[in-house]
Amino acid sequence: MKVIERETLIGKRIPKLDAPEKASGKTRYIDDIDVPGQLWGKILRSTRVHARIKRIDVSKARRLPGVHVVITAADVPDQHPIGVNKDHPALKGDKVRCIRDEIAAVAADSAAIADEAVRLIEVEYEDLPVVVDPEASLAAGAPVINEKHADNVAMRFDYAHGDVVQGEAESDVVIEDSFKLHYVTHCCMGVSGVIAEFDASGNLLLHSNTQVPFLHKREFADLLGMDPGRIRIVQPPIGGGFGSKLDIYPFEIIAVYLARAAQRPVKLVYTRAEEFLASPTRQPVILKLRSGCRKDGTLTFRSVETLHDNGAYTSWGATTPFVMMQTFSSLYRVPHCKYHTTVAYTNNPYAGSFRGYGNLQATFAVDSHMDKLAEAIGMDPLAFRLKNAQAPGEVTGQGMVFRSCGFRDCLTTAAERSGFLAQHIRNRAAQRAPGAVKRGVGMASMLHVGGGAKIYPSDGCGTILKIDDFAHVTLMTGASEIGQGSETVLAQLVCEELGLPMSAVTVVNNDTDITPWDVGVHASRTTFIAGNSAIGAARIAKAKILGAAAKKTGIAESELDLVGGFVVRAATGEAIVELAKLLRGLHFSDKAELVMTSYYYEPPSVHQDKGFKGDVSAAYAWATQVVEVEVDCDTGIVKMTKVTGAHDVGRVINRLGIEGQIEGGVVMGQGYALTENLLIEDGRVRNPSFRDYKLVTAPEIPEMDLAFIETMDGEGPQGAKGVGEAPAICIAAATANAIYNATGVRIYELPFTPEKVYRALKGVAPQVAWRTRTEPHASS
Amino acid sequence: MSLAVEIEFRLNGVVRRATVPVDMSALVMLRDVLGLTGTKYGCGEGECGACTVLVDGASVNSCLMFAVDCDGREVTTIEGLAGDARAERLRRAFAEFGAVQCGFCTPGMVIQASRILAQHPHPDRATIQRGLEGNLCRCTGYKKIIDAVEAAAEPG
Amino acid sequence: MTALERYAAPRALGEALELLRDGDVTIVAGGTDVMPQSHSGKVTFGRTLLNVRRIPELAAIELEGDTVRIGALTTITALLESVLVRERLPILAEAADHFASEQVRNGATVGGNICNASPAGDMLVPLIVLDATVELAAKPNGSVETRSMPLQAFLTGPGRTRRAAHELLTAVRVPLPPRGFVSRFYKYGTRPALDIAAILIGLGGVQRDGRMESVRVVFGAVAPTPIRGAATERALEGRPLDAATIEAAAEAAHDEVRPISDVRASAWYRQEMVRNMTRRLLADVARG
Repeated sequence: MKVIERETLIGKRIPKLDAPEKASGKTRYIDDIDVPGQLWGKILRSTRVHARIKRIDVSKARRLPGVHVVITAADVPDQHPIGVNKDHPALKGDKVRCIRDEIAAVAADSAAIADEAVRLIEVEYEDLPVVVDPEASLAAGAPVINEKHADNVAMRFDYAHGDVVQGEAESDVVIEDSFKLHYVTHCCMGVSGVIAEFDASGNLLLHSNTQVPFLHKREFADLLGMDPGRIRIVQPPIGGGFGSKLDIYPFEIIAVYLARAAQRPVKLVYTRAEEFLASPTRQPVILKLRSGCRKDGTLTFRSVETLHDNGAYTSWGATTPFVMMQTFSSLYRVPHCKYHTTVAYTNNPYAGSFRGYGNLQATFAVDSHMDKLAEAIGMDPLAFRLKNAQAPGEVTGQGMVFRSCGFRDCLTTAAERSGFLAQHIRNRAAQRAPGAVKRGVGMASMLHVGGGAKIYPSDGCGTILKIDDFAHVTLMTGASEIGQGSETVLAQLVCEELGLPMSAVTVVNNDTDITPWDVGVHASRTTFIAGNSAIGAARIAKAKILGAAAKKTGIAESELDLVGGFVVRAATGEAIVELAKLLRGLHFSDKAELVMTSYYYEPPSVHQDKGFKGDVSAAYAWATQVVEVEVDCDTGIVKMTKVTGAHDVGRVINRLGIEGQIEGGVVMGQGYALTENLLIEDGRVRNPSFRDYKLVTAPEIPEMDLAFIETMDGEGPQGAKGVGEAPAICIAAATANAIYNATGVRIYELPFTPEKVYRALKGVAPQVAWRTRTEPHASS
Repeated sequence: MSLAVEIEFRLNGVVRRATVPVDMSALVMLRDVLGLTGTKYGCGEGECGACTVLVDGASVNSCLMFAVDCDGREVTTIEGLAGDARAERLRRAFAEFGAVQCGFCTPGMVIQASRILAQHPHPDRATIQRGLEGNLCRCTGYKKIIDAVEAAAEPG
Repeated sequence: MTALERYAAPRALGEALELLRDGDVTIVAGGTDVMPQSHSGKVTFGRTLLNVRRIPELAAIELEGDTVRIGALTTITALLESVLVRERLPILAEAADHFASEQVRNGATVGGNICNASPAGDMLVPLIVLDATVELAAKPNGSVETRSMPLQAFLTGPGRTRRAAHELLTAVRVPLPPRGFVSRFYKYGTRPALDIAAILIGLGGVQRDGRMESVRVVFGAVAPTPIRGAATERALEGRPLDAATIEAAAEAAHDEVRPISDVRASAWYRQEMVRNMTRRLLADVARG
């Protein structure tokens, strides 16, 4: 009797499926792909921030040898505006409203010729008054930036639960502060690019790095007046996403227009400077937070007002309030909450979606206040947080149901592993000691959706699965791989169900003609939703296989299992028949059956009502991070020495993958807190290069100690919840608290660059004033 | 029309001839003229390291080098490390230790890491970090890349 | 599109100098400055692109009596790896260690860094501390002629030097520092390297009986060229290096620099850093 050992894949360190290919340089990203007959596209962008276009002369460009087509808005009279407010035409004809604005585009025989042609296009502008301050744009008499919104308001959001007036009346301590969150940008290592080609029948094939291929398909169909069935999107391996590719942007549409006009495929790839200039940023926010608590430590209320700079056109940045509300209403237990956002048009570049989607900004304010409130009532920062941290089963004022909830465990674990309290006390005592370098420790927590987010009509994902005669599985999933390791996790979940090794699975996830629908890679949803979808398809396959095995052997289906490539007796592991052999037997028989299954998983979450209330996700996730810093008071340089993180992830599926996500997110948070700053002055980007936009480099990373709290979510695949955005979210808040612990100085504005910290320490920093323009720094 | 120059050099062990515009970078020559796409364009100004190649055994940013300056020299790209034992240990370690996510920075990292190990057979983590200071990564936070390079050091 | 008509990569100095005599020449060695500057428009190519990287006379680091001759083609890596430099001119090795990244160090040359004449040029500050002179060669009338001048005099403004169009920088010479010479280098930044400095400080002097003599203080990134801190030097020269002297020197440093505000730092902050870091370097010297 042959016995097959059961070996689970869950929780193991599984190398990424495409790592060997990537490490050999064989992977072909969008810029590595050329299609036969392609032309190279290049965009002419505005040189003015706000101006009427009086004249565009493309004649010299058109005459340059090697140029096939030059297009302007006049050549695409059928174009209609894109974006959530439908306020954004791809090619601007009458007016430019920000420094990104696309005025013309060229398709030519080479990139060099396209570049030269763009330089030959002449544009005559008539300058209009420039508005770069959202407050100024809301003032009476301000120039109208986008004609659809004469009051310069792109959106408004209002939310409330409870009654903040009552909450304030019940408070023993009330504090109020203004916070200013800055522009940062994704800096994916691979720049943006697209290839558009029409086939002989007029069907469109788009080689696109979009994170939302199925939504993209529908958008393009609308834009081009085409049947969506005739648009196919193929996704090459991506050089980073982080939310930068969740919206439709002009460059892709322009590439399609060029391909249509030239009757040739067109490849359009950004330069790095163009990437800095034209890729959407994180949403900058000015916010005022008023918080209260009782002297016994219970939170009473939060009242929030924010002003969002929409920029010239509306993209996903304007919708970050959806997420920010959740933090203000539900991160820690708050009985009364009021939230307001006004999103104002300006002539600045617009913001899009970026890992965390407003949560970094909101958490910065919330967790700065948690420390301030704790200090005001003489409670230590950990005890204050524990008092207000929710437990499993709680429902928040916004209607979020916390089924699995490891919040308290996150707090205590991170505190214990870092020795937080002892350090905090020691550092505080040492503030006045001699020596320029001060140590600080700070804590912050985050709450984010971990089971999708039901903001579209469906938050689902489809899977098609087939198993061939050799027990090789092809998993066709709608969920894209953006470098986060989804393809490996999905393969792992399927292999676990079917008792197969990782080598037995091929994942297909990058062709809208092949894979079923998925709403897209966002909201940290992929492991949860695509995972459940894959497991669903695998379970149907398993049932079919075991049913066939039962029929063949006479052993009851319930007594069989799939382990190690065999059908086995579940209780003993005794091998009954090799899976591949069974499958061949099924195939080459009178009944001739193949194992092909499909499953669409829709999470049991609900859409929010008009008041933004509802259980919008199937699960929620928490993390607490403790950040240790050294502040050099002679320079203001803050060194992040260690981060201790405790993450409620439901269940660890791929230990290697989840560690990588968290480590990467921590360092992204480090950049947001300390070094990254896209300097936009008078509507222009002052530092569009890595030379002056500082990403964290290898020697600067902190020591990282990660702990996973496995709360085994009932709905999650193998109990897992989403974690993609979590690790970046509360680093800045913890760092603010750490700097305060080290120096006694609290800073309300990011990033904590050396000059900003030094000014704060010297008491010469400008106050962050609510609704008053702060003085422009040459740097900070 | 830009002046074209004929050069001859050893590329990945094989002597090649190429005619290149005099102002073309080595990076653009490798990718667009010679079809080797493993070396990546990340920034074009020597800040990110995605374009790192070996020239006469030393690592350089190919985006900063003039293609014509390859004449008479020995150039190795990521493709040329296919048979290299040290690079093979690195590739395995990168996969085993989770040092690859989107993978765009990975070829540059492997090339640079091969040079770190060539100069320091058993480097400590600080040496590895300094060695990688010119290679940017946005996905991994560098920790697993450092783990992988440490693990790929010579046995013994 | 460029006006380039000719490319040359001579293997002999004489040939290079003859090409330079024709005028309208862009010189390139490693390319680490010329290449990005040609993209940004800061450099437009002349009629000839002259690649000097293959001229053997320009690559060596040699001891000539009590002078170290560093060939213009010496890469920053070669500087860092030279035992002679590490042992006798440690301030140069320290600056080289904070230069960009290994990939850039392998391509960038000392001559290139000097002729690029950036106000924040990493190697310029320590070279001036060491009282470097530059050697220029030309072939105006059939034979090679050379002339020398102090590096500080050679640099006249951002990107500007006293090199005539037909001249080539061939070497930089540094006298071996005397016994008892101490030196310190500071490059401001949050990273070990890969930063364009907001400020640079170099100091050197002979330490004797707790006093500093023949003091040289150089500041970078606070003026169009690296500058000597004359007032700071006066505050130090011949005085015991105690807390009072250090404080006075630091204040003098703060007061005598007139930096600009730019995307990297404000003028006020630069001045603060000059004071604080001068103080820190001097305290480090005092500790021994």
